[in-house]
Amino acid sequence: MMAWYTANAVVVQATMTTLLLALSIQLPLRVGVFSFAGVGCFGIGGYTAAILYTKFDVDTWPAVALGTLLAGGLCYLLGLIIHKLSGLYLGMATIAFSLIVAVAATNGGSLTGGASGIFGALGGITNLHVLLLLALVVAGLAISEYGRFGRMIDTVREDPELAAALGINVGRYRKLTFLASGLIGGLAGAVTTLLRSTITPAEVNFHMVVVALTVIIIGGSSSWLGALIGAIVITWLPTVLSFVADWESIIYGFLVALAAIFLPGGVLGLAKDLIHRWRARRRPTPPAPPASEAEKIPGGEPSSPATERSLASTQGGTS
Amino acid sequence: MSRSQNDSADPRMIFEADDVAVHFGGVKAVDGLTFGLPEGKIIGILGPNGSGKSTLVGAITRHVPLTRGTLKFLGKDYAGDEPHLVPHRGIARTFQTVRLLEERNVLENVLLGTDSLTAGGRAARRLGQERAEQAMARTGCDHLAKVRPDELSYGNRRRVEIARAIAMEPKLLLLDEPTAGMGRAEKEEISTLMLSLRAEGLTQLIVEHDVQMMVDTCDSLLAMNFGKLIVEGEPREVVRNPAVQEAYLGKQAVKHA
Ligand SMILES: Nc1ncnc2c1ncn2[C@@H]1O[C@H](COP(=O)(O)OP(=O)(O)OP(=O)(O)O)[C@@H](O)[C@H]1O
Ligand SMILES: [Mg+2]
Repeated sequence: MMAWYTANAVVVQATMTTLLLALSIQLPLRVGVFSFAGVGCFGIGGYTAAILYTKFDVDTWPAVALGTLLAGGLCYLLGLIIHKLSGLYLGMATIAFSLIVAVAATNGGSLTGGASGIFGALGGITNLHVLLLLALVVAGLAISEYGRFGRMIDTVREDPELAAALGINVGRYRKLTFLASGLIGGLAGAVTTLLRSTITPAEVNFHMVVVALTVIIIGGSSSWLGALIGAIVITWLPTVLSFVADWESIIYGFLVALAAIFLPGGVLGLAKDLIHRWRARRRPTPPAPPASEAEKIPGGEPSSPATERSLASTQGGTS
Repeated sequence: MSRSQNDSADPRMIFEADDVAVHFGGVKAVDGLTFGLPEGKIIGILGPNGSGKSTLVGAITRHVPLTRGTLKFLGKDYAGDEPHLVPHRGIARTFQTVRLLEERNVLENVLLGTDSLTAGGRAARRLGQERAEQAMARTGCDHLAKVRPDELSYGNRRRVEIARAIAMEPKLLLLDEPTAGMGRAEKEEISTLMLSLRAEGLTQLIVEHDVQMMVDTCDSLLAMNFGKLIVEGEPREVVRNPAVQEAYLGKQAVKHA
C-alpha cells in the first residue's frame, strides 16, 4: 500500500485537485445555475495565493485562505449581478468572467508575471492537507445533497416556479451558489498552485471548463460522488493506458459523447438506476391500491361526459 | 372598492382582491376582479378555456406580475411579496399540470411541502414527516410512499400534488383543476376530502370544469369570462344564470338545463 502510494503520489494529488475544481462547477449545475465561474475563481485563488506567497512573504495557509476568500467574494458579486440571467446567457457571462481573469493575469505586468505566469510558489502543502480540505468540502456538499436541503436544491434546479410555490427562496439559493462555487474554485486554485509552485494564464482557460465538464458528465452531475468517479477516470486513464496522454482531447471527447448518449446520469446515475430497479424488484407485490385506482382502468366509466365536454370545448377567452 | 369593504364585515374575508388585473401585452387575461373569500368556505371558479382562471391563481400566489389592483390576505396587503413569501403567509396551491420531482419518491415529494416551512433540526424533521404521512393518508397515496412519480397513474400524481399542498398546512388552499382526468369515483374522493378540510376550517379556492362537482362541493361560485367576473353567488343560482349558461355551457347545454 505504502509503496503504491509513493509511486502514485502525484496522480493522487492530481485526482484531488481536479476533483476540487470539478466540484466548484458541479455545485452550480446541481442548483440549476449554468455557471463556469469556478474556473475564473480557480485563477483568482491561484494567482492571489501565488502573489501573496512569492511577493509579499505571506505564509502558505494565510495565502490559501485569502485566495479562497477573494475568489468567493468576487464570485458572489458576480452572482448578485447575473443570477437572474438564465441558461445559456448565464453560462456565457460566467465564461466571459473566467476569460477576463485570464486576460487580467496576462496583462498584470510584474505582479502576475504576464504570459509566463508565476514560478517558485512552492508552499508547504502535503497531500494529507489536500485530503483534509477535500473532506471538508465534500462534507459540506454531502449535507447539501441530503434530506430536506437536497430536496429543496433539486426543486430549485428542476422547477424554480414550483420551488417558490413551496416557499423556497430561489434567488437566495442561486446567489449563495455563486459564493460557494467561488470559494471551492478559489481553494482549488490556491492549493493547486502552491502544490505545483506555478500558475500561468494558459491554465485559466476554456480547456479547464472542458476538463471539469468531462469529469462531471462521465461521473454524474447529481452528487459529489459522481465528480469523484469522474476525477478518478480522467486522471488515471492516461496512467493506465499510456497512449491516452497523446490523444487526450479526442479520447475525452469520445468518452463525453458516449456518456452523454448512453449514460445521461453518468456512471453514478447508472449505478443508482440499477439499485433502484433491484430494490423495486425486491419490493413485495405492491400493496392493494384503493378502490378508486381499480376504477381507473382504461375504458372505465367516463365522468359526466355531457357537462364536462361542453365546458371544456366551449370557445371563450381571447385565444 | 367599497364592495370589498362591505363584504369584509360578515363573514370574515380571509382573502380580498380589489380591481386585480393581469395583462400579457394586449391579452387581458385577468381584467379588474374584485372579490373576497370568506373564511372556512369552498369557493369555486367556473369559466371556459382561456378565461383567466389559472392566471388568477398565479396572481394570488404572486407568480404573475399584477398590472393593477391590490391583494389582501388576513387583512394585509401582500401584492408586493416575492412568490416564495406567499406560502409562508399560509397560501398553498396545486398546478393545472401536475408538477412533481420525478427523481424523488412520493413521500419525498410530499415532504417538500414541509421542507421550507419548518425549521431544521430533528424535532422539525419528525414533525414534517408526520405532516407528510397524514397528508398522504388523507389523499389516499400513503401506500405509494416509496414509489417514484413516473410509475403512478395520472390520478395518483394529482393526489400526490394535493397531499404536498395539504402538508404545507395552509390557511388558504388553491386547487387548479385538481380532478382533471379523474374518473367519477376519484372525483368524489377529492370532493369528500375538500369537504373534510372545510370542516377543519380550511378556506379553499377551486378551479374546475366539472359543473356537477362544483355545485355539490362549493359554498359559492365565481363565474369568469374574458378575464372578468360575470356572476357570483350561490352555486345553483350561478349555474342557472343565463349569462353563465350563454358563456360557458353553450346553447346545447342551455337546452338540457
Ligand atoms: N404567460 C403568459 N403570457 C401570455 N399570455 C398568457 C400567459 N398566461 C396565460 N396567457 C393567456 O391568458 C389567457 C388566460 O389564460 P389562463 O391560463 O388563465 O386561462 P384558464 O381560464 O386557466 O384556461 P384553462 O381552462 O384552459 O386552463 C389566455 O388567453 C392565455 O393564452
Ligand atoms: Mg387554467
